[in-house]
Amino acid sequence: MYRRGSTPISDEIYLLCMLHNLGITAPEKSLTIEEISRWTTVEPSKAKENLNKLLKAKYVGVRIVSGVKRYFITADGIRKVLSMYS
Amino acid sequence: MNICMLTWEYPPRIVGGIARHCEGLARALAKMGYAVHVITLDFPGAPQYEEVEGVKVYRTSIELGHPSFIAWVFIFNHFMEKKIAMISKDVKFDIIHIHDWLVALAGIAAKHYLRLPLILTLHSTEFGRASGLNNPDSYLIDGVEWWATYESKRIIVTSNSMKREVEEHFHLPHGKVDVIPNGIDSSRYEVKIDRETVKKRYGIAPDERIVLFVGRLAPQKGVEYLIKAAPKIVNDHPNARIVIVGDGWMRDYLWNLAVSSGYRHKILFLGFLSNSELIELTLSSDVLVIPSIYEPFGIVALEGMAAGVPVVASNVGGLAEIIEHDKTGVLVYAGDPNSIAWGVNRILSDPKYAFWLVENAKRKVREVYSWDAVARKTAEVYEKSSGGV
Repeated sequence: MYRRGSTPISDEIYLLCMLHNLGITAPEKSLTIEEISRWTTVEPSKAKENLNKLLKAKYVGVRIVSGVKRYFITADGIRKVLSMYS
Repeated sequence: MNICMLTWEYPPRIVGGIARHCEGLARALAKMGYAVHVITLDFPGAPQYEEVEGVKVYRTSIELGHPSFIAWVFIFNHFMEKKIAMISKDVKFDIIHIHDWLVALAGIAAKHYLRLPLILTLHSTEFGRASGLNNPDSYLIDGVEWWATYESKRIIVTSNSMKREVEEHFHLPHGKVDVIPNGIDSSRYEVKIDRETVKKRYGIAPDERIVLFVGRLAPQKGVEYLIKAAPKIVNDHPNARIVIVGDGWMRDYLWNLAVSSGYRHKILFLGFLSNSELIELTLSSDVLVIPSIYEPFGIVALEGMAAGVPVVASNVGGLAEIIEHDKTGVLVYAGDPNSIAWGVNRILSDPKYAFWLVENAKRKVREVYSWDAVARKTAEVYEKSSGGV
């Protein structure tokens, strides 16, 4: 669990922040779960669980390329991340 | 005069007040005849370059990434710096104006390689936002803020309370800080709406009265105290509905707090809204609550005042300077749900009092907080800073 100030941030929001900072902010920059796991050092199963939560909240979008799911952050996801440091 | 304005957010990339501040200021400066070049970050759907109402907007793509936020900021500053260098081949800038620490590194670098005066607008401080310096990131951000104040020829803040805060915290020399408030374009609120239709859009009944909050869901905004005030508000006014607009990393905590209060059915979380949606909702509201515990300025207060919505705000920072208690709004104790409920109930119970507050507030917004007035004062700072770094 990551902390900003004295309040904890949930795992999925922390993952969202990392995806944003990695620049996965458009469909053409999307990554697979394996790539996300490698870049963020979050286990694939955990990454998948958190990505599903982010998808449900519409902070993350998904595109399918050659049958493989690739994830990217939506405009709302970007705003969510930026609101942490603004 | 060619102004190079750096900001990490500019419409449609809107997070907090900085985007709206930069847009209002840049447009008003352009109207005065200044050539304003805004350099900002890209955003899905926004063009790399556009000219809007005389303002030239350049959006920087970030070609590298790193999971760490701080590393990301340093990386995007590099690309912003490169963008400034490329534009400066064609444009002879006269001044560099940076907004907050996030673009300080690019601004400081440009100051030195272009040999230009640097102006810094500090919208808030890390010390204030994070309620102290609690981790290495905060210490670094605080350091960058200090560095930016040191490198800048002039520093602009939006309220006297912020001036006191930065002079004391960064040990600034006397006379380096100018106070220029935020502005607002009141004409944006001069639109006809059908309140019933707007309410229906969000599942709010026609007879329900909207108690509105707009802002980031972060501790400094004090939303939790408004949620804790809900039982007292609803007990006095059963048709009150608390509507929370905005998002942030505290959303889950606030949602759970609403559930545990037993008044979740009276609290509506709407997330982010577009500009036009927000204006319509604001115009449909009965009271705007700003329960912040730290607020260097509080541009939302101006938005409520311009929209003709009575404002209840914490008696802190810039809010205490914008709002005259019992004249242009109601000031309440920060972090005190009882006090917030008292303020809201007072307005909801007395329509004549609410009308009187609104009329006074609208007048004050027109006279003091127009973007033209803000731009004139900012231009004075540019003029006295030009020539020499």
